[in-house]
Amino acid sequence: MNLDFSSMPQYTQLFINGIIMTIELTLISVAIGAVLGLIVALMKMSSVKVISFIGSAYVEIIRGTPLLVQILIIYNGLPQFGIKFPGFVVGIIALSMNSAGYVAEIIRSGIQAVDPGQMEASRSLGMSHSMAMRYVIIPQAIKNILPALGNEFIVMLKESSIVSVIGFADLTRQAEIVSSVTYRAFEPLIIIAAIYFIMTLVFSRLLSKFERRLRSGDTR
Amino acid sequence: MIRVDNLHKNFGNLEVLKGVSLEVKKGEVLVIIGPSGSGKSTILRCINLLEEPTKGDIYIEGEKINDKKADINKIRQKVGMVFQHFNLFPNMTAIDNITLAPVKVKKMDKKDAEDIAIKLLKKVGLEDKRDSYPVKLSGGQKQRLAIARALAMQPDVMLFDEPTSALDPEMVKEVLNVMKELANEGMTMIVVTHEMGFAREVADRVIFVDDGVIVEEGTPKEVFENPKNPRTREFFSKIL
Repeated sequence: MNLDFSSMPQYTQLFINGIIMTIELTLISVAIGAVLGLIVALMKMSSVKVISFIGSAYVEIIRGTPLLVQILIIYNGLPQFGIKFPGFVVGIIALSMNSAGYVAEIIRSGIQAVDPGQMEASRSLGMSHSMAMRYVIIPQAIKNILPALGNEFIVMLKESSIVSVIGFADLTRQAEIVSSVTYRAFEPLIIIAAIYFIMTLVFSRLLSKFERRLRSGDTR
Repeated sequence: MIRVDNLHKNFGNLEVLKGVSLEVKKGEVLVIIGPSGSGKSTILRCINLLEEPTKGDIYIEGEKINDKKADINKIRQKVGMVFQHFNLFPNMTAIDNITLAPVKVKKMDKKDAEDIAIKLLKKVGLEDKRDSYPVKLSGGQKQRLAIARALAMQPDVMLFDEPTSALDPEMVKEVLNVMKELANEGMTMIVVTHEMGFAREVADRVIFVDDGVIVEEGTPKEVFENPKNPRTREFFSKIL
């Protein structure tokens, strides 16, 4: 086997750009996904059947189809209806929509893990359902949700590599670019694999530290 | 003050309440006793609509509460409820547990709510626990805090759903004492309990519920010393 990393250092900037893009894309997507996911979760838990059906259907469809297919539909399918977005926007839309499906389930289970007695106590004190949600249930649910949301971020950090297929200049795409100019297929991939690994390692360490603090600050 | 007319409640195919009627006057203490699964807690939970009646009417101060037009949040403000498992808010200190509803629901000034809360903490003997979280409290203290929380809304009637059933025996008394004091002050109360001593001593009236119907009703003296129905007698023979 013949591995030669000597031509790689001159492309450091490309890899750095890729890292920044990947982290940016992941952060934005998970953030938007969290907001959308909250909406979907609330829809799913709604007592209005139609709304809860739409929420459930959304989650099922997103989780039941491959992310790659979802991206291709948004990138190639929508322009046929005259809706065209630049690659960056498509990447964000696709990943946020995908993330929303998973986050919705995280939020729903986080909320439902709160003792039903909490809702009953709040209602018995005269709070409306939404008041009880806002002041009692959600603050408690956040403790269940945050760690899982951090996990979703780490998963998305890796999954986001798929946007390279539509030309989004993330870390994976940079490896392809480097390999096309250096004619070396293997080395750039090894480099980005190492980078992905280090990033997820660092973030999951940070996450477990944060989780530990969350628990020690837990005065229950 | 509270009137329940021919109350029915089904959970799926299971008929839990099969026509319960009762009335509670202002200042009266009604104790509901009966075997577990008889439906006594369900009666209580219907009175503040934590369970929706399948059939029948419930009136509080003349207003029909299981009516589409009734403002349930308004009605619940007048009806305090104490639960078997306390249901305190674990992420809030004792005083915040008490002030949350007055501040958010009644739009009371935070400072005024705190003044009321401190008085209530004193009343239930927890003035030194104002900044403690529920996890730091014993079972008896938790339940006393839960009573204070319910009282902060200045309800006209208090519902107690087996308030001492989840407590260690040595803590039962401190909770019952708070309830006794409340009764002496003239609070209207409906209490579901297995504490027969409390029923004898504090109740104005006792009803015995079995299998979704009221089997026996009367003063504690009548019910405990001279039960007419064989089912009541059987129940007492098992527990006394």
